[in-house]
Amino acid sequence: MSTEDLKNQATNKADEQEPTISRRYFLAGTACLSVTTAIALSPLLNAEEVPSGDDFIQKHYKELSKEDKKEIFAKLESNINKQYGVAATISDPQPLEGVEFAYVLNLGRCIGCRKCVYACMDENNQSRSPQKQYIRVMKMKKGTINLETSSHDYPEKEASSKDHFYMPVACQQCREPKCIEVCPVKATWKEKDGIVVVDYNWCIGCRYCEAACPYHARRFNFAKPQVPAKDINPDMGYLSNRPRYMGVMEKCTFCLHKTRRGEYPSCMEVCPTGSRKFGNIRDPESEVRKIIEQERVFVLKQEVGTLPKFYYTFAK
Amino acid sequence: MGNSEKKAHFEKGELWKKIVLPGTIILLLILVFWGDNKPDIPDPISLNTQWYTPETARGEILANTVMPGNCFICHSVQIPDPNTIRPQFAHITVKLEHGVNDRCYNCHHLYDRDSLAGDGEKKISFATPEKLCARCHGIIVRDWKEGTHGLRQGGWLVKEGNTPTNFTCTECHDPHSPQFKYDMAAPAPSWPEKTLRKSRHSDDDPKSAYLTESIQERF
Repeated sequence: MSTEDLKNQATNKADEQEPTISRRYFLAGTACLSVTTAIALSPLLNAEEVPSGDDFIQKHYKELSKEDKKEIFAKLESNINKQYGVAATISDPQPLEGVEFAYVLNLGRCIGCRKCVYACMDENNQSRSPQKQYIRVMKMKKGTINLETSSHDYPEKEASSKDHFYMPVACQQCREPKCIEVCPVKATWKEKDGIVVVDYNWCIGCRYCEAACPYHARRFNFAKPQVPAKDINPDMGYLSNRPRYMGVMEKCTFCLHKTRRGEYPSCMEVCPTGSRKFGNIRDPESEVRKIIEQERVFVLKQEVGTLPKFYYTFAK
Repeated sequence: MGNSEKKAHFEKGELWKKIVLPGTIILLLILVFWGDNKPDIPDPISLNTQWYTPETARGEILANTVMPGNCFICHSVQIPDPNTIRPQFAHITVKLEHGVNDRCYNCHHLYDRDSLAGDGEKKISFATPEKLCARCHGIIVRDWKEGTHGLRQGGWLVKEGNTPTNFTCTECHDPHSPQFKYDMAAPAPSWPEKTLRKSRHSDDDPKSAYLTESIQERF
């Protein structure tokens, strides 16, 4: 055999082995593939929330430029208007210079009326069904601070009992937050003024932070948050009380859309007994600073080393 | 290959093109618009506005409110006795539960019905009750002046737009019965059972009793 013959033979073989797809098979295959894909994706149609393409490519909050934010806020506002018919404004107040927020709660005064719980729900557009609340009021027998024997589902007629005291527990805004350490995508972080926030668009909903928090202060949206349109609070902060999505984590942010403007958080203003005190811990003239200096304050679960900025006291 | 055979083959391909492709597209469209059977979620119930309306914890006993009418109809005739202990005559409905302070004229001025009792013969206006309270509760009034006692509204930062509201003593405490009598408590959370911190160890529960008693014994 000559080399030419061998070459010819090889090309002949290649011709024989070359896969030939007829138009019929191609079209049939495409049709089958499209149908199966459509069937496979059809559950998405029943999903309560499907993020848009823009949501998918949106950057982390810290990487957003001013123009990006403007665009995103405008889009969110129009979405809120479409969904609830409310002209909401989304603000993004930045941490104030030289300000670190702290909270003091006087357990000697608290009567466990739970008004703070519902004022918080109202302010922060929290889901009414399923119910989400940031504050849990623990009812404890006098004589011990034992969370083991506490309950947070006591009926309202058991409030202001003389044999018990009441300990409202919300996010403690730790200096060493365990929740941000465990976040695999850095969707939660501590701001300069000490407030721990969540980027609801970046959160993947793994709930590591919920497990890491020793105070059970974080809430997860297993279902789409439901808020009646007429109860929507139109004064919204991007990192605080804008409507949340299904499958993201949320938490108390000390009402940062209010407090960074110099106002008090809602739970404090509603407290009928004045047992809640809020302010700038770095200002020596502030109420919280004076209480911390003059009274015996303590923090919850000191032994876990989270260094909370939420202090409890038994002052007069 | 004959010409007719070629034509047949071409027509066969055309058939696939004409039937299968539009068929697939129609099927896809049906599937896309099929799944509009979202579960009916009932409208969420609004919160009771009373649960979050700011108000003070005074929780007043109605009889302890300001008495209408002209005081001097009676008090011009009656010679005031500084040792009067119980609210009498027209004031019989007033419930006085102010600890050991059980004399009317400890706080009320002996001769002037529109004033409170200051040092000696001095008068204190009803508009500034804290001056009267400070005569016994000095430390608390000091705290109140600093802002560490009592309810405050308005804002932590003093600036334009924030109107700080301070409440005086009698806006939160009924002076005749200063303990809070607030009964506007809001209901318990309606969370899923497993996420609630249930009162598993109630006061009657032996485990709870063991936990609380063992600690109380040390005191």
